[in-house]
Amino acid sequence: MTGWQGGSPRWRAWLVAFMVAAGAFPSAGCRPGAAPEGAAPIVDPPTKPGAPAILIAMPNSPNFLEVRKSLVSEIRAAFSVVTFVVTPDTTAADLGAAIRRTNPACMVLMNNATITLVRDYERAHPAQTFPPTVLLMASLIEEVQATLKNATGIAYEVPGVTSFMNLRAVIKTPINRVGVLYRPGLRKFVERQMGPAAREHIEIVPVSVPSDVTSEELREALENLVRNRHVDALWMLNDNALVRDEQFRDGAWRAVLNESRLPVVVGAANLVNPGSPLGTLAAVPDHEALGLQAANLIFELADDHWRIGRHRTELPLSVKTVVDIRRVRDVFGLRLEAVKHIDRALE
Amino acid sequence: MCLPTRREFSKVAANGVSVGIPLSSLPSVRRRLLLAGVVVWVAFGLWPARPKRAEAQSKPLVYVFLQLDAKSSAVEKALQQHLPDVAVTVFGRFRDFEEVFGSARPDAVLCITPVLEYLGAPVTLQGKRGGETVEPYVIASEGKPLDGSLAGKTIGVVDLMGRDGTQSFLNRLLKTNDVKMKRVSKIEDLLPLLEFSEADGVVLPSAAAARLAERTRLPIKTRDLPDGMVGLPAVSVVNAAVRDVLVRSFQGLDGETNRLLGIDSWSAQ
Repeated sequence: MTGWQGGSPRWRAWLVAFMVAAGAFPSAGCRPGAAPEGAAPIVDPPTKPGAPAILIAMPNSPNFLEVRKSLVSEIRAAFSVVTFVVTPDTTAADLGAAIRRTNPACMVLMNNATITLVRDYERAHPAQTFPPTVLLMASLIEEVQATLKNATGIAYEVPGVTSFMNLRAVIKTPINRVGVLYRPGLRKFVERQMGPAAREHIEIVPVSVPSDVTSEELREALENLVRNRHVDALWMLNDNALVRDEQFRDGAWRAVLNESRLPVVVGAANLVNPGSPLGTLAAVPDHEALGLQAANLIFELADDHWRIGRHRTELPLSVKTVVDIRRVRDVFGLRLEAVKHIDRALE
Repeated sequence: MCLPTRREFSKVAANGVSVGIPLSSLPSVRRRLLLAGVVVWVAFGLWPARPKRAEAQSKPLVYVFLQLDAKSSAVEKALQQHLPDVAVTVFGRFRDFEEVFGSARPDAVLCITPVLEYLGAPVTLQGKRGGETVEPYVIASEGKPLDGSLAGKTIGVVDLMGRDGTQSFLNRLLKTNDVKMKRVSKIEDLLPLLEFSEADGVVLPSAAAARLAERTRLPIKTRDLPDGMVGLPAVSVVNAAVRDVLVRSFQGLDGETNRLLGIDSWSAQ
């Protein structure tokens, strides 16, 4: 994989497209620092005289606001919080001016567009030092992090092992081998998932497909994976090129899955639909918990005198689950009392 | 207005069985204001009206904040079904509970006793399990038990009382002020802390540790905490006018619902 920063705009386009579909990105524009049309303005807590400032740069849209609300509720007693709204019109210079004006002890950057602005600003000012930066709600943060001078963060992608463990907790059939199709751009991401999964005695069986994979090629790869690799479940990555639209999903995925009757873990709630079965269980980020995890990280950085040092990128700890209970009950067997551990059970 | 410290208030108001926290060490002005409100309610039997609550005339309102082996929506559904004379709202996270508690007062709260102590709310009904009002907490780790000093270790814990309150609770349980705390908002999020090696250990009730060990293939080891007895769920009725109906309702809960709450009986204080 060339990496996010490696000049591969197609990867970025696909992943961003998927996240938009999953409701993670904003769609409306507005002036920097102001609410987009129809959105309520963001109100920061009163400044705390003498307290270090935390600058949060983010789009003004629901998922980001949910994380911000949780984060601010945790840090407002110890820090002054300054929020800068990033829109499609925001320039690197705008954000740079906000950094200079705020002089924050730490920055929180939400989404890849915001990160790119800061990266561009940093590159334009190579002699300047920058505060420690916490990256949130962006794709492939483990790889993006290296493009900034002083950054750590929390990955936004739900770890495979978390999805698999949630599936294990719901269905009766064993989950020991999980097959996954991936395009070359996500090879490193898939590789990073293998270690944590192995600790839970789950083997990930990866199969590469071409970057410009067609519906037929994908179906063929899926058939091969299902027939010959003895997997207990499938993991559908959040890669829009592999999911695309209903017609593509019918031709490539459902054509095989209806026959194989394997459970499928997905990363978007809208892929779980008992009326048109595809995903068996979706594990999606828990935004309130992500805010708490980010607050923990900021307090730890403060305790370490704002040195990024040993603070490697963390994996998200918390998810919400959506389960096609009808299919689980009919095909895989529902574990006793599993329903009380599911966030949304769809019949 | 001169307020009693949290510890002073707790001595008067709480049952004093469970592990408390060094309450007087909590500096939050907000907490003190909250405490002031509770003092007024308890001392003078005052309770502000709750406008906009449709059931205000008919059903007392109970807030529940517990970390259980079930989603809060499942707990809320079960309690609403089995407490027909009570309006129940279950909170899965401390911050949500704190925020709503500060703006729309309930008639009673159901929490573990350290949280009631933190709120300065006296126990009206104490939950019991096997005749005990407390349960042991343990520290769970992967591979081998966390023996020896815990100083400098990173320990995961569910956020029960915000940052300061939970840190105090943890320090008291572990008998050290030198642990790095990682708070999570739900009990099931403790396992990923171990899976991803983000914590050296996690502190939780021993019953929850057993469930955690069942869910994972990681070799989970536990270490008892010498003074790790923590109060079980309890109800604090703060509106005396509805005390009888609430006591009757909770004491009439069936066994399955009580088990969901982690207890098997209620004892009036």
